[in-house]
Amino acid sequence: MLRKIWVIAYKDLYITFTDRNLILIMIVTPLALASIIGLAFGGFIGGGGSDVPVQNIPVAVVNLDQGVEFGGSPLNQGQTFIDLLVPQGEPDPENVLHQLTDAVELETAEAARAGVNAGDYSAAIIIPPEFTASITTTQTQTELTPVQIEVYASPAAPVSASIIRSIVEGFSNQIAMGSITIASTIGALTERASTDPLFGLQFAAAAGGGGFNPDFSAAFSPDAALIRIEQQSVTGETAAFNPLVSFGSAQAVFFMMFTAMAGANNVMEERRAWTLQRQIVTPTPRMVLLLGKMVGTFISCVAQVIILILALTLVGSLIAGELQFIWGTNLFLLALVILCVSLAASGVAALVAGLVRTPEQGNTIGSIISILFGLFSGAFFSIDAVPGANVISRLTVNYWGVEAFNKLSQNQTDIGLNLLVLLILGAVFFSAGLFIFNRRLSV
Amino acid sequence: MLPDPRETVLVRLARAIRQRCADHKGDASMQETLVQVRGLSKQFKRDNGETFFAVKDVTLEIRRGEIFSLLGPNGAGKTTTISMISGLLTPTQGDALIGGNSITKNPLAAKKMLGVVPQEIALYPTLSARQNLQFFGKMHGLGGKELDRAVDEVLDLIDLGDRDRDKVDNFSGGMKRRVNIGIGMLHKPQLIYMDEPTVGIDPQNRRRILDTVLRLRDELKMTVLYTSHLMEEVQEISDRVGIIDHGQMIALGTVGELIQKVGEEDRLIFKVGEQPVAEALLRRIESEAATATRARYERREIANSDAGALATAEGILTVYATRGRKALPDIIRLADESSLDILSVEVREPDLEAVFLHLTGRALRD
Repeated sequence: MLRKIWVIAYKDLYITFTDRNLILIMIVTPLALASIIGLAFGGFIGGGGSDVPVQNIPVAVVNLDQGVEFGGSPLNQGQTFIDLLVPQGEPDPENVLHQLTDAVELETAEAARAGVNAGDYSAAIIIPPEFTASITTTQTQTELTPVQIEVYASPAAPVSASIIRSIVEGFSNQIAMGSITIASTIGALTERASTDPLFGLQFAAAAGGGGFNPDFSAAFSPDAALIRIEQQSVTGETAAFNPLVSFGSAQAVFFMMFTAMAGANNVMEERRAWTLQRQIVTPTPRMVLLLGKMVGTFISCVAQVIILILALTLVGSLIAGELQFIWGTNLFLLALVILCVSLAASGVAALVAGLVRTPEQGNTIGSIISILFGLFSGAFFSIDAVPGANVISRLTVNYWGVEAFNKLSQNQTDIGLNLLVLLILGAVFFSAGLFIFNRRLSV
Repeated sequence: MLPDPRETVLVRLARAIRQRCADHKGDASMQETLVQVRGLSKQFKRDNGETFFAVKDVTLEIRRGEIFSLLGPNGAGKTTTISMISGLLTPTQGDALIGGNSITKNPLAAKKMLGVVPQEIALYPTLSARQNLQFFGKMHGLGGKELDRAVDEVLDLIDLGDRDRDKVDNFSGGMKRRVNIGIGMLHKPQLIYMDEPTVGIDPQNRRRILDTVLRLRDELKMTVLYTSHLMEEVQEISDRVGIIDHGQMIALGTVGELIQKVGEEDRLIFKVGEQPVAEALLRRIESEAATATRARYERREIANSDAGALATAEGILTVYATRGRKALPDIIRLADESSLDILSVEVREPDLEAVFLHLTGRALRD
């Protein structure tokens, strides 16, 4: 049985991969796509590159932070962020944030939100009144408390909004890291002084004589921390936010669905050419016939996604000027995602193969499904503003696949649910397709 | 003995068939039943919701080692019947057993004994002849050296050994047909089903295919189930024939049995130009010519292709006789005595066309 499945799959793959036109489409399309995405987002993946094609994102910043007294001086971390983001006078050409954003400070949160609603700004950053107090350790407050900076984003500008979100996350992470550093340093010194009287006396003398002047500035702003757009991963490692991954993977899955649908259509083509019937009259169970076709489709899907991933990596590396693997460091999980997405897409193809009667129907229904899946998974534009779209998107192969690719690119490994859902989708669609296919052939 | 040049091709074919039937009479294996079809029916639904029987209650047996043909006009139900026997369609009623294996209850065992040559050119055009044969050979469970040997043998049999690595797409229609047939015989099935394999090809390739069919039976000892709407080729190659019309089997037997069943006679057709034939001569032929039963004369107008030219008439004398060849010398003598010049003569022995006409009241090609 396995041998026959492979015989059918191998025949389909041989026909596919010896078709020059098809190969051209499979390679040229991903390369063209990768180039377009790369050119659009090149500035973000260039590391320290100063050439930013997407720039001057209009953003409103509101600082409601009331600050705290720290060592006798006022401390306002919100203002630190404002100073960094909003240029005093002319924008600093060396400051990438000044190039990237066109930040304006406003007085009230309401004005900022209204500006976003009116389309004047892509996003508004609202720093809460208790911001500094929550993340600063003082003699009266020794515990850090969680605090949220609000990013009010426009659904019409998803890319800009996600960039702003990343900037804010980068900033708040840095502030939090600095606060934790100070708290733990002071804590350690105090604890040692209490257990080591000699050290306690020396520390008290140094502090009293002005000899204790620790420099914590590095903890708050290491040189590149705010120039790079970063997100903090669950494991604590930092990884670059990369639109090339986000959009590239969405497009990769979108195109892979078309490849899967072509596989479904191939079943109908074979039926029309009578080569399918010729296989049916061999001593081969019908399940094996459909499995063979779907294994061929599955391998084609895997090949296409791999080609696109490599193409996007190539483009990303060319723009960065160095070899950059933008899909994360966990190659095993990456391979698993590719396999599961391809499996789910093949399952959808099996269902379509069971449902349609002619190649023309297959073409139409396959295209509609591919486009709808792409649409609901945000392959073309953000669907956040469309009511109910987020729920529907979870029924698509694309959503779970793209999300998994994005998580992996940020070195997150919590993709178990994604893999499980993809496997279930593949199994359910394939079983339904097989049932209908079998019934239809028996008529 | 040299063939009589006055004999028509059909006369020669009919004789060859009778000879072949006689040759096979003593073959014990021919008496063994390979295929049993019992009350096979298939009902379909029309777009307007009405149901109809494409095939109704077909029962037949095919003996091992024979060429059994299903003859009928297009749309008679031949392909539907065969599709059920080969497991492509599920019967609404009835069953078919191949070598004792039910096609509905034990389809894989039944299919192992079956080779199929569909009417369509069911090949992968971008693969070579060898690759097509290899693929379908593997689907039939062949592999390794056994597959290589089978492919080589078939390529030799279909006379494409020197073109085996060419893409099928570059083949002529006849060559594609030969590969199509080759696939069906690759795994040496006990039963090979061929659905109108000579449709749309030139006479030379048609001849090759018919010869191949005969070789399958005579050399490879296969049983052949053949469908066609072409009476001549069915009559030439078949040991037994089933005539199917409107989904029902209306006659079944050897060509001779079928002809005998409907009581058809030989027809002797004489062209006499514009000469009139007297009624007295017709009566003399009926009474004096050996085995003649009746004679009639008719004049046919022949349209002239030249515009403005007068139409000419042609006299046709038709004599019916139980043994036409025996009546022929007497008729020629009587015509000579009446100073009637015979321009041409044709002896038509009864054929399947006549049988079909007799059974259905219409010609096979209608």
